[in-house]
Amino acid sequence: MTLNMKRRGFVKALFVAPAAPALFAQQPAPGVSANPAPGVPLNPTQPVPPPTVSNEIPKLDTMVPDAAAEPIPHFFTHAEFGALRKLSGMLMPSVNGMAGALEAKAPEFLDFLIGDSPAGRQQVYRAGLDALNAGSSKRFGKAFAELDATQADAVLAPLHQPWTYEEPADPLARFLREAKADIRTATVNSREYNTASAGGRRFGGSGTYWYPLD
Amino acid sequence: MAPKDYDVLIIGSGASGGMAAYTLAKKGISCLMLDAGPLVDFNRVRGPKPVYELPYRGFGKPGRLPHVMQANEFNANQWVDETEVPYTHDPKSPYNWVRVRMIGGKSLFWARMSFRLSDYEFKGKDHDGFGENWPISYADLKPYYDRVEPIFRVAGRNEGYSQLPDGVFLEDDSPWSGAMKRFIGAASKRDIPVTKMRRATGRGQFASSFNLLLPDALDSGNLTIVPNAVVRDITIDKNTGLANGVNFLDRHSKREMHAKARIVVVGASCLESTRILLNSKIANSSGVLGHYLHDQTYITQGVQAIVPEAKDGKAPRGLMGGGGYSPRFVNLKSGKEQNFIRGYAFDFSTGGTPDPKFIPAYGAELDKALKSYSGAGVSVTLMGEVLPRYENFAAIDKNVVDAWGIPALHIQARYSENEFNMMKHATNTFEEVCQDAGFEILAKHDKMLPPGYSIHELGTCRMGDNPKTSVLNKWNQSHDIKNLFVVDGSSFVTGGYQNPTITILSLSMRASEYMMEQMRAGNL
Repeated sequence: MTLNMKRRGFVKALFVAPAAPALFAQQPAPGVSANPAPGVPLNPTQPVPPPTVSNEIPKLDTMVPDAAAEPIPHFFTHAEFGALRKLSGMLMPSVNGMAGALEAKAPEFLDFLIGDSPAGRQQVYRAGLDALNAGSSKRFGKAFAELDATQADAVLAPLHQPWTYEEPADPLARFLREAKADIRTATVNSREYNTASAGGRRFGGSGTYWYPLD
Repeated sequence: MAPKDYDVLIIGSGASGGMAAYTLAKKGISCLMLDAGPLVDFNRVRGPKPVYELPYRGFGKPGRLPHVMQANEFNANQWVDETEVPYTHDPKSPYNWVRVRMIGGKSLFWARMSFRLSDYEFKGKDHDGFGENWPISYADLKPYYDRVEPIFRVAGRNEGYSQLPDGVFLEDDSPWSGAMKRFIGAASKRDIPVTKMRRATGRGQFASSFNLLLPDALDSGNLTIVPNAVVRDITIDKNTGLANGVNFLDRHSKREMHAKARIVVVGASCLESTRILLNSKIANSSGVLGHYLHDQTYITQGVQAIVPEAKDGKAPRGLMGGGGYSPRFVNLKSGKEQNFIRGYAFDFSTGGTPDPKFIPAYGAELDKALKSYSGAGVSVTLMGEVLPRYENFAAIDKNVVDAWGIPALHIQARYSENEFNMMKHATNTFEEVCQDAGFEILAKHDKMLPPGYSIHELGTCRMGDNPKTSVLNKWNQSHDIKNLFVVDGSSFVTGGYQNPTITILSLSMRASEYMMEQMRAGNL
């Protein structure tokens, strides 16, 4: 659904709302003046009719902020963020019409998530991204974001190692393993990925959400 | 209206408390049930939501619920907030205390796996010399299992195993898939049994005290439920030495209240019940209250395998799908056939797709591999018995209180060499069976999750015949205070490899009926 379609839905709801006579309990019931004379109280015994099918409270369409605005990265340095963007595009490219990590703004989301995370996780990312750039500079004389595909693949060699339960001791390998999972999750759980359609099939990750208990 | 005098006050509304209320109230015993959590209106507190509408895209708020590995951003609000009800542990020995505070307790969310214990557990000491026997045998509890299983509508397949007794099941006669037949064939050559999962189906797959026990108890007119009642301690009549009620605080206002009853039944879950008794400074003449904490140790995704014929979407109809359960098959003949005692179980399934982490690739190559492996996976959760040991315990941490000023628990639990050896054996054996069945091994590991992960905490008010070495007698009754009963998993002497809920329910029913007999006889 496009932004304009969403907006039209909301405007339509605004026009519908006044037609519902008992939208809120505070509103006067049928037969009671909506504008009583000053000093004349509403009849306190006047019953407020319960909502019915014809006057039930409308459900308004809203949207997530990602659909209407751009995130403001602030945690990673310029060099780190450049490496994260490059890495995200390589690990989770757009395939078969599905949104990839860049379309899903996964790097921008991870900037927020990691910035809000405990120090240990922040360090894994910082050390890993710095190692990506340092390794790229040492081998190819430029930052990871500037590498061509073949060069970047060479730097990402740890991702071709078989999985082990123990976290790798090497900071780059450890980071790449964590980033591989995080970039994927940030992508497939994005609005862009979930609203994409491929071959006529809609993807929609959803679940049963528990609201805070009273 | 003056407060009513109740026959029985029940702390907790989950499986154990719910069964006590169900058993007692239907027989005319007036019961007051207190639960620390609210009565939840499921239509109001739950609703479908796209994952992208969650503030953290499904990651969850970083740092929230650090010990609840089952938590995600959808269900985070259903678990107890660790900042509100804290506990402590040695930073080097994490303990995952996973809690729910709502009417219905953890029975709202359990996996519904329902396995009877056998005399390999009840009389474990006789078999291998370790620890203590229970003061009851399987024959003592069998009649109660027979009555509990139909209430919870447990589905399963009777097999005649000595280590996993048959039950009163909704017979599961569903056929095995081709992959399962291959696994069963390979397993049988090693004398490893495979049966269908045994699971409570309840009503509409909802099998909780909330829908199966409490409604009938309420219909009797003999049960009063008070939600949001955070019990601080049990009060004792100084003249008689008997329990006469509890002090509790309203969850919202923190207003202090006292409720009276002739008998107090504690079913607040293993560690919460222990905490209440410790804070009450009662029922501990043995000195073992809080000790012998154990659970089942879990390895999830211990082996990830692929059925080669199912790759690339080429699985013929009926090849993939379904799962199985292998009960303990080691150390059955003699006490120690291996470098460990006791045993473990496999809970495995076929037909899934491996987690991308197991595939050493990224980008388009990873995408291609995931498509190839889609629906071709075999995965297992390994569940092993944990030895009850005195040095694993819960005690009051005098420096920490919860949001109601109630002292918190300090928990110390570490797995021993027996558990490490056992689970290494479990992983290797499952891998070997998969290989024999012609499956490709994608990944394996034998790393146990932290103690507590299984949400099967047990043993801290254990029962026994000797008041010097146990907290409860064989009727879940305090040795020290005869009108005090503890009916949850804390009463276990040893827990085996089996999920404990159906045993907790059966013990609670048994204890409640004994309670009624004693009331009729004028002993309580």
